[in-house]
Amino acid sequence: MLKHKVLSIIGVVALIAVMSILPFFVREYYVEILIIFLINVILAVSYRLIATTGDWTLCHVILMGAGAYASALMAKYFGWPFFMTAPLAGATVCLVGLGIVYPLLRTVGFGFFITSLAVGEFIRLSWIKFHIPFGGPRGMIDIPEVGIIGPIDFYEAIPYYFMTLAITLVCLFILYRIDRSRIGKAFKSIYEDDILAESIGINVGRYRTFAFVIGSFFAGIAGALLAHRLGAIDPHIFALDEMVYLLVWVIVGGSATFAGPIIGVAVMTLLFEWTRPLLEWRPLFFGIILIGFLIFMPGGLESLIPKFTRLFGNRKAAQAKAEQPGGAEKSVV
Amino acid sequence: MLLNVKDITVHYNKVDAIRNISIEVEEGEIVTLIGSNGAGKTTTLRTISGLNHPTTGEIWFEDQRIDQLPPEKINKAGIAQVPENRRVFPYMTVAENLEMGAFLRKDEEKMNRDLEGVFKHFPILKSRQKQMAGTMSGGEQQMLAMGRALMSNPKLLLLDEPSLGLSPIMCLEIAKIIRDIHSEGRTIVLVEQNARLALALAQKGYVLETGNIVLKGEAKELRDNEEVKKAYLGG
Amino acid sequence: MELTTFVQTMANSVVSGSIYATVSVGLALAFGVMKMANHAHGEFFMLGAYVVYVFYALAGMPFFLAVLAAIPTIAALGLLTERLIFRPTRGNVLAGFMATAGLTWILQVLAGRIWGLGFMKMIPTPYMGAANIAGAQIGLQRVLIVPAAVILLGFLWFFLHRVRLGKGLRACAQDPDAAALQGISINKMTSLAMGIAGAYAGVAGALMAPIHAVTPYMGRDLLITAFIVVIVGGMASIEGAVLAAFILGFIHTFVTTIFDATSAIMVGVAFMAFILIVKPTGLMGRAKA
Repeated sequence: MLKHKVLSIIGVVALIAVMSILPFFVREYYVEILIIFLINVILAVSYRLIATTGDWTLCHVILMGAGAYASALMAKYFGWPFFMTAPLAGATVCLVGLGIVYPLLRTVGFGFFITSLAVGEFIRLSWIKFHIPFGGPRGMIDIPEVGIIGPIDFYEAIPYYFMTLAITLVCLFILYRIDRSRIGKAFKSIYEDDILAESIGINVGRYRTFAFVIGSFFAGIAGALLAHRLGAIDPHIFALDEMVYLLVWVIVGGSATFAGPIIGVAVMTLLFEWTRPLLEWRPLFFGIILIGFLIFMPGGLESLIPKFTRLFGNRKAAQAKAEQPGGAEKSVV
Repeated sequence: MLLNVKDITVHYNKVDAIRNISIEVEEGEIVTLIGSNGAGKTTTLRTISGLNHPTTGEIWFEDQRIDQLPPEKINKAGIAQVPENRRVFPYMTVAENLEMGAFLRKDEEKMNRDLEGVFKHFPILKSRQKQMAGTMSGGEQQMLAMGRALMSNPKLLLLDEPSLGLSPIMCLEIAKIIRDIHSEGRTIVLVEQNARLALALAQKGYVLETGNIVLKGEAKELRDNEEVKKAYLGG
Repeated sequence: MELTTFVQTMANSVVSGSIYATVSVGLALAFGVMKMANHAHGEFFMLGAYVVYVFYALAGMPFFLAVLAAIPTIAALGLLTERLIFRPTRGNVLAGFMATAGLTWILQVLAGRIWGLGFMKMIPTPYMGAANIAGAQIGLQRVLIVPAAVILLGFLWFFLHRVRLGKGLRACAQDPDAAALQGISINKMTSLAMGIAGAYAGVAGALMAPIHAVTPYMGRDLLITAFIVVIVGGMASIEGAVLAAFILGFIHTFVTTIFDATSAIMVGVAFMAFILIVKPTGLMGRAKA
């Protein structure tokens, strides 16, 4: 088991090293893709945290949008710098999350799912309707860039990338700690058997709210990062189609482990870029992939990991993982 | 032999729910499966009816092998079940519930005669035909569930814990009705936690414990058996 | 509001409600029978409209026959969806929903490739002219939707409550195991439910074809509305869906007339939130799905 842990840490360090070197070896266009990739990772992992309680929402991308709008408004109209607006955007989205969670908690399962869609749409439509302050259907433009701090010009892709990478790593670390903590275990126990959880003193409603609010915070951070990179946002980039893509990442990667969604974002981002030549046929291709995954590999790509570990002779590690209390977790889907 | 359950094992969520179960039911018998909660009695009945399929073993009904058939084919072959907790359709009327029992039947005339037969067994159903099944009492639902099962004119009737949750008076009524149904010539497999009732009705019995058959024999013998008396008949 | 405008809006509300109802009952039925949440329901609607485009606008068949043609066509699509997508994912609502989201993309791309994107199909209106009620002009094309919906909904009610096969659908929705024990084939019921869902969504689309711009994406907004209707109505309740459909039709139409379309959707959502807070199981929902 210790061997396994050491290997994991080495793996993570290696990955960070690769991510740190990568931007210098690719064209600038791809650095932009990488920035979006990191933002999506924060989005996907925070989504999965909420999903560990069994609550699959359809409003997570909207929450990211709320963070984007919040950060943009604060930067544009109050002139506050990014390092202030980003966490404040996160806090704002927490409040938004708290606000909408009440009707949501009245429902479970599929009802919850669709209600979150409707509530999310309500928020998105308010961005369309209220030209002041949200800018209406055209959205907001001229969002102040992060600007120049010291010798570094964050308008450039690579500096922004490293800032995003740092923020992403911090967020992932926090999310990972939460996932592994007692709170995280409480979340999973609610999914397993909410009646049982209630009987041992876990206030199910309160924990579902926790999960939702925590997830919202990180969605807000992701939104702030997005707004200040794009410089302009509009309501359409936060619509249902984007939410469905988020679900695709989480389903393709798997949601039983922490790394699953990250794998999903990575694979789908690659596939998205590689399939650009498909043009209008691309959504059809993804539709087939999605259906294929759900029928033939509902556990997602992460479910292949134990198979690989076994394949490459590391039987003990795979077994040890399966015997850990949180190890052989069922996929949330 | 009407029903021959040969050495079946049923796997539920990585666990063996029942193991190496063999049961023989001759035509015209009442055979009972007794045992405490979780012993595997309901799993056995569900498997006979096709809601579960055994991982090993075979089930033969008359000359047909039925263990891999879907539930609707098993119903068609002539096996009907009154499930545990009755499971009437709560938002359908008494009449509709009974009609569902005869879902696969096309012989209108005989069906209507069978319906009259059900009403003779359970007069209360006749007077409450338009009532929503979910608003009926436990005993009434039990009668409805039995009537529903009889509507398919089954050769073999499986009863899963008919006495569950019923008052002693209702139990007696149901027991009487089971006797009547039996005397009409139907074969019955009766699963019961109430071993006394079960062994009073049946000719033959099997005792299940944690998924295995631990004892079998004539009902008389089981009634006098010391272990059975201690474990299931209150000493 | 002037009387004429009021009557106009009332009439339009009834028409909207009729379409919402026709589209949503299939969704409620499929969900009730075996928790099949069809994300592609909006595309069933869209393809129903394209059936009319092909048979009526292109091939010149009489409008009425073109609409009827949508029934078996989209019903078949429903059957295929059940067999290929819902059956393998049975037991997992989310998986079924997401897989049909994939189907949505597939159908949208196919429709776009076959019939082209970019320009909206204008389908000649078979019934020109308008009815004059209390001074308000209401296009006949719209008016005929109401009796069509009444017939369709009436037929569904009759099927579910007076025909044994239809009663089997209700039994399956209320207790699938008990239904199976009575000889009701679950697979046949799920196929039947999705076939009906397809047929009804398709007919709604067919009827709307001359009124609404026919594009591969015309089903998107309707999907969210349909799901709201089903939830407000009570997840698996057909009667609830019909009631909710008309209420929502009225809300949407009146708010659109007085304010704008965006506000209308927002008010609809607020209404849904209100219902869920007051009665979480929906207007006519039951504690048991």
